[in-house]
Amino acid sequence: MTPPRHQIIKNLISPLSKRVADEAIESWERLADKLIFLIGEDGFDSVYARSIYLNQAAFPGLVANTPPPQADSRFAELRRNLDGQTLPKASEANCLLLITFTDTLAALIGEKLTNRILQMAWSMDISNSTTKENQE
Amino acid sequence: MTGKLSIRRLSTGVPGLDNLLGGGLPEFSFNLIAGAPGSGKTTLAHQIMFSLANSGNRALFFTVLGEPPLKMLRYQQQFSFFDIDKLDECIRFVNLSANLLNGNFERVLSRIEEEVKVCQPRFVFVDSFRSLARSAKGEGEFALQRFIQQLGTQMTSWEATTFLIGEYVRPDSESSAIFTIADGILSLTQNLQRNSMVRKMQAVKMRGQAQATGFHTFRINEDGVQVYPRAIIQVGTATESEVKVSLEEKRASMGTPGLDEMLGGGLPVGYSLLVVGPSGSGKTILATEFLSEGIRRGEPGVIAAFEKSPSQLLSTKLSALVKTGKVGVIDTRTLDLSIDQVLHDMMKMIKRMQAKRVVIDSLSGFALALAPEFSEDFRGSLYRMIAELTDLGVTVIMTSELEDRYTDLRFSPFGSAFLADAIIVQRYIEIESQFKRVLSVVKVRGSDHSKNIRQFDITGEGIVLGEILSEYNGIMSGHPTAVFEQNDQ
Repeated sequence: MTPPRHQIIKNLISPLSKRVADEAIESWERLADKLIFLIGEDGFDSVYARSIYLNQAAFPGLVANTPPPQADSRFAELRRNLDGQTLPKASEANCLLLITFTDTLAALIGEKLTNRILQMAWSMDISNSTTKENQE
Repeated sequence: MTGKLSIRRLSTGVPGLDNLLGGGLPEFSFNLIAGAPGSGKTTLAHQIMFSLANSGNRALFFTVLGEPPLKMLRYQQQFSFFDIDKLDECIRFVNLSANLLNGNFERVLSRIEEEVKVCQPRFVFVDSFRSLARSAKGEGEFALQRFIQQLGTQMTSWEATTFLIGEYVRPDSESSAIFTIADGILSLTQNLQRNSMVRKMQAVKMRGQAQATGFHTFRINEDGVQVYPRAIIQVGTATESEVKVSLEEKRASMGTPGLDEMLGGGLPVGYSLLVVGPSGSGKTILATEFLSEGIRRGEPGVIAAFEKSPSQLLSTKLSALVKTGKVGVIDTRTLDLSIDQVLHDMMKMIKRMQAKRVVIDSLSGFALALAPEFSEDFRGSLYRMIAELTDLGVTVIMTSELEDRYTDLRFSPFGSAFLADAIIVQRYIEIESQFKRVLSVVKVRGSDHSKNIRQFDITGEGIVLGEILSEYNGIMSGHPTAVFEQNDQ
């Protein structure tokens, strides 16, 4: 069964948005801001690097930062990658990356805690909104 | 009113720990949880934090280089106390690794202060403090001591109760700085002896209050840490009472016709009776009758049955008693037990059931169920245990298996006979080419009792006392001779 979180991620960026890269980076920064408090920079960077690696086959443009990123330029490479693609492709790539990232996180620290972190990061009630969407 | 400060003590939420600390955790204290890796430090810290933190009393948990936070969150969630709903609102985790990699004590201190100002926590945890201390080793011992002192003062000023968690096993220059400044020190150890692992906790120091001294066993299960404070004999707890027990004193009826008379009117309430005899001599039956009589008189009982698992419970009669709900059974299936753990479970059940009668069947099985480390001090622990139980006012029967040798008269393989207030000995003897059972009351402290040796049979009704073997001599040798035969010679 697909976790409800996936639907939230798919709806995170509007299909009509002209600022896909900006919105994507903003989502990532807010997530990193909350998550690094909990699992540290090393924890975040390793899950992020793996997510990039797992999606490289589908989106060869996605490249991990090398060497490991500095806090202020953590998503610089991602921005460059997204900027170099069409809006729908960039949105799809970001969506897949977020899904992979949160799936890995959920496998490690559980679905409930992952949702809780996303809720704090994106200021939305993951479980409630998801339920509504599922019902719809 | 004296106007003197009275320090509030917080309940840690860890079963048994408040007793060990001497009544709880002093508010705003600066504490160290020390122990080897794997000894349960982080689990203990988390359990305390999740128990104490709420929306009005937030907690900050600083993670440093030690266990990766990702793994810590993964594993700590396995415990029932880990409440995800408390995260963020009541509990915040802050990772300090980045500050340490390119910083010094001052930078770490200001980062901690920064977070404390924002969160205004009542509880602060730093795990692992040793990683933090070592990261700035180049700064020297004085800098470390200064840092710890500043941290302690700062946290107390912010009215936060603080816990440093560190892999300190033995005193060294680094730990001695913390040991000096800390208000409280909890040391966790795990000892392996003959394939049996025993966890122990010691409240090394607890400023301003009298902690329970010595080592205390604890276990970690799915609910977290459970401490079993070592039974310590309280002043006035009498196991050595030589006060003459009068017949007017309350006595517990044994449920075996004729046995009360042999004991001088029943077993004095609050006494411990040791029933000793070889295998199959009827010790458990005598104890079962004691529990059964208790039910008849409205006195619930508790049995710790070490001889068999509860599912095979001893006899049909005992099973029936347990089914009535008036007799509680202590789970003794776990091996590597400590006496304190059994005592803890027993006390809990005694209080819950308001039990008046307790049976330990048998000391031999009990000794086998204990971890080797505890077997070595079985007698000492048993002494404390009996004192605790009898202090509750319950009447205790302990059975003990003793091989008949017929060459000497012994009452217990553990040298525990002197611990008991009363002793009944059962033996096999040979009369007219038949094995017969006999029993005798050897001792009832402070009370008159029968000196007779009486034959008895085990029937469907329990123990049936028979004649006094006054016509025989040398009964305890196992080969009695009739008095008239001797006279003939």
